[in-house]
Amino acid sequence: VSKKLVNAIADMREEEALKLAQEMVEGGSEPMAILDAARQAMDIVGQRFEKGSYFLPELMLAGEMMNQITELVKPELAKMPEVKRQGKVVIGTVEGDIHDIGKNIVTFMLDVNGLDVLDLGVNVSPQKFVEAIRDFEPQVVGLSGFLTLAFEVMKETVEAIKAAGLRDGVKIMIGGGQVNEKIQEYAGADAYGKDAMAAVTLAKDWGGG
Amino acid sequence: MFTRPDNWNELSPLERRKVRLDAWQNAPVEFVSPEAEANYKERIERLRKIYDMEPHDRPIADPFMGANEYVVRRKGIQGKDIVYNHDKLREPLLEFHREFQPDVSVGVLPYPGKSWDLLDFKLYVWGGQKLSDNSVIQAVEDERMMADEYQDFIADPTAFWLKQYLPRAYGALGPLTMLPDFPRISESVDTIDLLLPFGMPPFQEMLHKMMEAANELMKTLGSVGQTGAMIAAEGFPGMGFNIVKTPFDYLGDTLRGSKGILTDMYRRPDDLLAACEAYVPVLIKAIVGASDRSGAPAALYVLHKGADTFMSKEQFEKFYWPTWKQVMLALYEEGITSYLFIEGSYNQRLEYLAEMPEKSLVCHFDQSDMGPVKEILSDKFIIAGNVPASLMTAGTVDEVRAYCADLVELFEDAPAYIMAHGCYFENTTDEKLRAFLDSVKR
Repeated sequence: VSKKLVNAIADMREEEALKLAQEMVEGGSEPMAILDAARQAMDIVGQRFEKGSYFLPELMLAGEMMNQITELVKPELAKMPEVKRQGKVVIGTVEGDIHDIGKNIVTFMLDVNGLDVLDLGVNVSPQKFVEAIRDFEPQVVGLSGFLTLAFEVMKETVEAIKAAGLRDGVKIMIGGGQVNEKIQEYAGADAYGKDAMAAVTLAKDWGGG
Repeated sequence: MFTRPDNWNELSPLERRKVRLDAWQNAPVEFVSPEAEANYKERIERLRKIYDMEPHDRPIADPFMGANEYVVRRKGIQGKDIVYNHDKLREPLLEFHREFQPDVSVGVLPYPGKSWDLLDFKLYVWGGQKLSDNSVIQAVEDERMMADEYQDFIADPTAFWLKQYLPRAYGALGPLTMLPDFPRISESVDTIDLLLPFGMPPFQEMLHKMMEAANELMKTLGSVGQTGAMIAAEGFPGMGFNIVKTPFDYLGDTLRGSKGILTDMYRRPDDLLAACEAYVPVLIKAIVGASDRSGAPAALYVLHKGADTFMSKEQFEKFYWPTWKQVMLALYEEGITSYLFIEGSYNQRLEYLAEMPEKSLVCHFDQSDMGPVKEILSDKFIIAGNVPASLMTAGTVDEVRAYCADLVELFEDAPAYIMAHGCYFENTTDEKLRAFLDSVKR
């Protein structure tokens, strides 16, 4: 059944995937086994995205399926021990920008790939990033921005992290909209990710996963 | 205002296009001086030759959209002024044109901030409202058509817009839901159905608010119109656009939201396709009407969700392209040029555009690879683009100069090329902007 679930999710058959997950819950399957199947499916989705056969509709729908399946197993999951994560990431859309679709996809992909993600939301001030780095102690910081005004704010955010004495302890990746290597250099970030899977690769490398 | 000549029905699409371009080119302008008049005529003639894809002395550089915020921000204008205080933009705009002598004018969109406040507009947030004073506007993604409302939209897109969409888009327009449906009988009772809501206090209160908002809108339009006339009077023609959306982007950006429409492609593909189809005739009528009222010869599409990174080629071919193509072909028949501002990249989409008739398009690229663009499209269409915002922000003057020079060289033997931005460069320098504008001058 779990192989069937993997395929149903990976092939975007939502109704079938939810039905299978429901059957597994009712049949007494371990919640972790169900979630593992869903994660395996997400690996396939990620690979297909990287290869260029899947695009945003598939990432969105996979996210929806994953959320629904997590909800299904939640009552059982609460009894299980916490899984070990592969590193911590603080992420947010920089100040002055309220766009979050890209950032949410990145957050979701980081999460299903085993990273511990603190999502600060949109319009996040440099100060808020600094505070989150102090409290959460991530290895990786992700700055997202869709608008061109984000170029300047990314730079200010990196500078604020530096001024707070926290720059050496974190790797900073940026992404979204018009962001590219040029802006990475301009903002003083460590890398730019062109899509969600690029962010996963960066975060895993840096997070020690 | 564009008036069709008596022989309109006998004209071919390209003849109709010529009539529209003639009317736009020869629209009356009161010039400040004979020199301004001569400059205007030289500039609009060059632009016209580009629209006609006929030989001309050099490409133009178009700062129309790309630099429109920068040219006022450089004089200390804040984002909230662009939304609330159009009078304040006039001097900076005039100064920019005098100082930089661009080939075409830069305009600022007439965002009516006070009207938005009065009507509690929810599609955007803006500077001086929920955003900081230095921001202009940003779209708020939301579902304004629910997944189970597709059939309502398909049955009657205009009624959906009026009675379901508008009350969600504007907090003050809730009472529009009281409007009657299409009359079940058009006899004496019709009058009762029609007028009844207008007699109700909440509806009347809404009408008063709309009139107040409309008065504010007229002030905004008056101010923006006056500035535009003054820029033209000093010798600078505009590009001549009305702004539109493709059926898929209208459904995605405005009604369903990104998450909604992207998952609908799997969950309810037939409804989505039927909704795009239902919207086509409504959209065509709306664009032709707007083009006739304004006299603008081109319809400007700001393209969003059909880009390479959004969906696969198969999905583009199924969901995005067919209804959009229908709209563009209908506009072509009406002599209206489709000006495509292609955000993101369209490297995988060029051959679809190539299906369109000659001179039906201006293709303005953002991040697409311009080599294949030249090869596949430049014989048939006017090409524009693609100086990156990242370069204009983070690059040096020399880098900007080199990038623009490469574009000029690439399109040297193409019939019609416009030097233009990729994405808007709101944060650059005068020197870089000058390098961009001067790159086409010989």
